[in-house]
Amino acid sequence: MSEALSAHAIGLSSDMAIMSLLALSSYLMLLVGRVSFGQQAFFGLGAYAAGVMTAMFHLPLLLALSIGMAIGALCSWLLALPTLHLSGLHYAVATLAFGEMARIALSGWHWQLSTPDGPVGPAGIDGFRDIRWLLENDVTPGAYLALTLTALVLVLAVLMRAEPTRLGIALRMTGQDPILTNTQGIGVAALRLFTAAAAGAIAALGGGLYAHRTTYLEPALFDPMLGVHAVGYALLGGLGTAIGPLVGVIFDLGLLEATQLFAGWRMVIFGGLVALFLRWRPRGLLDEALVHQISQTLAGFLLGPSAAAAHPANSGANAIPLKERP
Amino acid sequence: MTAFLQLTLDGLIDGGAYALVGLGLSLTFGSLRRLNLAYGATAMLAAYCGAWLHIQHQAPVWLVALTVMVAATLIGGYVEGLCFARTEKNTASTDAAPLAGADGLEVVALASSFAIWMQLEQLAVNLLPRHLNAFPSLATEQDWRLGELMIRPDRLLLALLATALTLGLAAWLQRSRAGLSWRACADHRLAAHLVGMPVARLKSVGFAAACALSGLAATAILLLDGQVTPMFGMWVLLKGLVAAMLGGLGSVRGALWGGLLLGVSESHAQALWGAWGREFATYALLFLVLVAPWRRHRSDRLVSGVHA
Repeated sequence: MSEALSAHAIGLSSDMAIMSLLALSSYLMLLVGRVSFGQQAFFGLGAYAAGVMTAMFHLPLLLALSIGMAIGALCSWLLALPTLHLSGLHYAVATLAFGEMARIALSGWHWQLSTPDGPVGPAGIDGFRDIRWLLENDVTPGAYLALTLTALVLVLAVLMRAEPTRLGIALRMTGQDPILTNTQGIGVAALRLFTAAAAGAIAALGGGLYAHRTTYLEPALFDPMLGVHAVGYALLGGLGTAIGPLVGVIFDLGLLEATQLFAGWRMVIFGGLVALFLRWRPRGLLDEALVHQISQTLAGFLLGPSAAAAHPANSGANAIPLKERP
Repeated sequence: MTAFLQLTLDGLIDGGAYALVGLGLSLTFGSLRRLNLAYGATAMLAAYCGAWLHIQHQAPVWLVALTVMVAATLIGGYVEGLCFARTEKNTASTDAAPLAGADGLEVVALASSFAIWMQLEQLAVNLLPRHLNAFPSLATEQDWRLGELMIRPDRLLLALLATALTLGLAAWLQRSRAGLSWRACADHRLAAHLVGMPVARLKSVGFAAACALSGLAATAILLLDGQVTPMFGMWVLLKGLVAAMLGGLGSVRGALWGGLLLGVSESHAQALWGAWGREFATYALLFLVLVAPWRRHRSDRLVSGVHA
């Protein structure tokens, strides 16, 4: 009983870590002011690419994940090129259309190699079976969870580290006001292209990890609802810090789905909450102001109140409170 | 040649249904300048209410149709209150948009209407958990022959209804006083307010009318199918979105042309590449319309309001 329970817990934690990667990818797009409903496409492309690499070409997992990330980044960059000049509204609809085009393209993709155990590879709408790298290499679910968490922590560390740098600040500036940012000598277009590529890579990393966890992929998994959830997690958790999307994931998957308390009503609650948050707390639970406050308080505890006051830049450089604009 | 004509004709007739669903979406955008992504889910939940009445109480067709339209209007009111009412407060103020850019508020409304979509879809599935649900059917069995061409009379009737509704609405917007005041509100809220128009009320009425229209469209389409599935919401939204976007959001006649163009493209794509091609063509058309280079020069048309 307890073994089954812990297996369930390991599975749930892996799912949450993987969804967190997708949510971080949406978060990154939201930072530069883009609502993308197409991140699930890069998740799916990364999943298929990594699956093809291990199941069909027997590459090691880490190499396969890297190739998946490269493909995700490339496709995301290619999508960003023609959509760069679109208004936010049209961008959202264009990414939605792109996500569906990618899903339908995957469902028409047949490419199988014959092996002693039968054909392996994507088989259109029937999906892509037997991505068995973990079984073949005796990786336990626990060890795979550790790998997934390591990937998540690495991505988080990079995002958090980038936050107080010039790049991180430029990203937030772009999100607040692209025109004003341009007048400050920051290339908004280049920044958005770079962000799209990075977000595509993160989504693809999540996809590759997902493919090896489930061993089975089908195009229908990557429908717009997945992308909408990712955006919802980021908007619910907050855009103030990269921890925000994780809060959203923990709330939805960890609380609503795992406890089964609201079986059948999970979407009603989650969807309603996202809408309510967008109305009354549009930058999520952990928005810039709250993050600033928390980091001030933490700095006060760690360094003493005088130190926190003396070095406000150290503690809150990553916070650009929304209301302080002239 | 006959095959080509037949495909085009089928496409045109299908296009009527697309125009019908695109119309409500285009009107909402025209009068509120907000894209309502919960549109399809609204129509679906309303259709589920009608189907429930039909299954549980064997309600007659007219009652089902009425229920769907009323339900669509009520649900639309809920969506408007939760996602779009913010607009009213913020048009005059210079508050920073919570998400980027000049259309930050539009994007927020778009995202929250998308979130509501999940909610409405789940409610519909909770109401009728089966995948296929019976809806009263008015479909005919007999096909009409026109030389070598085949026409399904019920589909033709739907297409004609869509055309008549679109052209009638366009004429009403252009000619009548009420249509003029609606266009004025959509064009310039402040100016309309200054000349004494009840802007907020007109907007609500416009939104409700668009939602009732979506209920009517859903009824008309489902009456021919005789069933409703959970895929209906997505179908309504996407076909409507492509039709409305092709014709230019906010344009009434544009929705008709957009719907017909989509219908014909889909029909030929299906003949060339099968069902897969049909599905892909819908999204490819939407994507191309959005990123097409000629759009850059017309981007000002987006902010202009509803027009015939």
